[in-house]
Amino acid sequence: MLRIYCLFFLLFTALCSGAVGKNHIHPIPGNISFPGARFIDPDPTGDFNTLVIPIKRVSNLIVIEAKVDTMEGNFILDTGAPYLVLNQTYFRDLPHHNDQDAGGINGEAGAFQTDIRNFNIAELHFDRLQADVTDLSGIENSRNIKVLGLLGTKLFAKFAITVDLFQNQLYIHKLDKNGEIPAAEQPYHDPILKVPFYLADDAILFKASVNDNTMWFAFDTGAETNLIDYRQAKKLMPTLQIINRSKLTGIGGSSFEVIYAHFDKLEVGGRAFINNKVIITSLEKKWVKRLGIMLTGC
Amino acid sequence: MLKKGYILLFTMLVYTTWPAFAQVKPNAFTISDDQMILYIDLHLKRAEIDSLLHIADIRQVNIDNLIKGNFNDLQKNGWTVGRKGDILMLLKPLAELANNPQLRPLMITAEMTKHDRNPGYPNDDVKYGVNNFIRQNVHEVPSGATRFFLPANLKAKRVLLSGNFNSWSTSKGIMLKTDSGWIYDIKLDAGEYLYKFVVDGRWINDAGNLMKEDDGIRDYNSVYFKYNYVFKLKAYPNAARVMLAGSFNSWNANQIVMMQSGGVWVRPMYLHEGHHTYRFLVDGKWITDPGNPNTINDGSGNISSSVLNIGEPATFKLSGFANAKNVFVAGNFNKWRPDELRLFKSGNNWVLPYALPAGNYAYKFIVDGRWMTDPANPNYCDENGETNSFLAVKPNHTFVLKDYGNAHNIRLSGTFNDWNEPGWSMAHTGDTWSISINLKPGKTLYKFIVDGNWIIDPSNKLWEQNQFSTGNSVLWLER
Repeated sequence: MLRIYCLFFLLFTALCSGAVGKNHIHPIPGNISFPGARFIDPDPTGDFNTLVIPIKRVSNLIVIEAKVDTMEGNFILDTGAPYLVLNQTYFRDLPHHNDQDAGGINGEAGAFQTDIRNFNIAELHFDRLQADVTDLSGIENSRNIKVLGLLGTKLFAKFAITVDLFQNQLYIHKLDKNGEIPAAEQPYHDPILKVPFYLADDAILFKASVNDNTMWFAFDTGAETNLIDYRQAKKLMPTLQIINRSKLTGIGGSSFEVIYAHFDKLEVGGRAFINNKVIITSLEKKWVKRLGIMLTGC
Repeated sequence: MLKKGYILLFTMLVYTTWPAFAQVKPNAFTISDDQMILYIDLHLKRAEIDSLLHIADIRQVNIDNLIKGNFNDLQKNGWTVGRKGDILMLLKPLAELANNPQLRPLMITAEMTKHDRNPGYPNDDVKYGVNNFIRQNVHEVPSGATRFFLPANLKAKRVLLSGNFNSWSTSKGIMLKTDSGWIYDIKLDAGEYLYKFVVDGRWINDAGNLMKEDDGIRDYNSVYFKYNYVFKLKAYPNAARVMLAGSFNSWNANQIVMMQSGGVWVRPMYLHEGHHTYRFLVDGKWITDPGNPNTINDGSGNISSSVLNIGEPATFKLSGFANAKNVFVAGNFNKWRPDELRLFKSGNNWVLPYALPAGNYAYKFIVDGRWMTDPANPNYCDENGETNSFLAVKPNHTFVLKDYGNAHNIRLSGTFNDWNEPGWSMAHTGDTWSISINLKPGKTLYKFIVDGNWIIDPSNKLWEQNQFSTGNSVLWLER
């Protein structure tokens, strides 16, 4: 019985709204918004099978040149960044996409999101790209190079990339229909080390072990050395040798502390690496807190 | 019975572990139970205690106070102090690491290691340079440009020249294809340059160039010196061997060989701007340059050397003071020695041409013992509370501030003068204030100080945030 009543009630209300005729005043609907909505950036295009791009090295950072519309300059390959990040100093005037949404930015002062048109890495062309604009002056000042931005993993989601740190070249490979690099285009064969990884939240994650403790790692080419969140380091603490504590200067001049430590064995893909350094700090990425991850640099 | 057993065991344990505390040095700084703990054995020497404090980055703590038991300094820094006999335990919660967390690992590691070396960019103070080619692929052409040549590689689609002269660009420097290789012409000032070629995305060295410099990543950059001077010895055409040595190469007599060219010994080279002294070594005998009237007595024995000034000399000029007897100039370029650089009378002026390498200097005149700033120079700089005249040699950038006609004084400060306060004063004409200075290539941060208020440059849209949240203006100079 209740059900039938409900049904009638629903029908009635539906009819009522449908019955609003031309002579009645229409109730004006409120603003309808979809705050989480995003345009999906169109796929990048380019007339190549494999793109070879020269890499510049600035200490352990991987720098390649790219062009935002007419502005050309250095970008750091940062697999720890989800997508494109631009340096506020040079892109301050871009239209703010959504000031309130601090999802990717975690409240960095003055940071905002935007969409840029016409982004090019050599022949690789992006019609439109979502980008974060934030303060990257810290990298400029400590490494003494002009940095227009960071290149995150999403930019290469449709490709395979090979980073050759001996010849200092970046290869961007178009994939065949099986999602593999075509045999003729493979620059290197017989890998010494092969590790499967997962792509989660645009982060490259893989499993490895520190002093026989298995942990999840994120592969972050923007980190110049290993880092671990102090909350995750708890289990490892007895096996780490603390070297020292240091106060560093962060964005806007405020200071933050880190602890340098040393650990004996890092095992990745069946190979062991000894004499490893790690920085114990506070990492803000959401997946760090969930999974307990160490970020590792080159 | 059982209790006794346990007590004995316990005391034994304590006595066996206790000695461990006194030798705590190897693991003096540890983390346990979410705390950072620094163990300091008060029996250690001062220097050792100091280095322990250093490990935990504890600064501004008086060690005497520490030994006496006064822990106020430490507690002010957030440390809790515990004590076990003569061992101090300094504790701090590990959660402190979460104060001011940085968003990106990139920003954390970028702050960690700062390098003094800048591979890929030549050292500012290279005093001289001579090229060394097996096959010379870099030439000066009549137009005054330097031509870089990459032989062969004719099947390549895109060849670039990359070097410190174009900030190691991998997009500019596009080379022109010829029938035997690729060329690129560029106008360069005299100096040292590092370069490489990029062929279809791959880095290639200049195989014909034996001058190399470590590029910091297990390879090398090729080095080219653009010359600006030729040493000539128009004598001793029959000598077997003539060497050149001077202040620019630390008087190494086995380094620079003079070459014969039509009966004249020559040595073209790059010589850094400034003041140099030199001599020739002709078949084992030292001589000054017979073609050069300027010599100087070295002060060390009876040897004199020839003097050479490279670069357009700056001229110090003081008008008037016709009755003065002694006029000198002194500045930070000669360590403010008041009786070294004498000006000579020329008409109504006192003058001294003096070669200074490009840069920014402070100076004053000394007229009959009285120090004074240059009355003809509207730019001043302050150092140690003294106001001096400001001189820029080879100025390459002019800072201009408009629309502050009513200000009393406007000064410039930035990374080029270590954010000097009160800053370098700007000259005022109408409602425009200006100063020209010599900027080093790379990044410069600066601000104007208008009647004591620091402002960013309103005509420069590039700026970055600073620790005072007031912003710094940003300027990049191509290297």
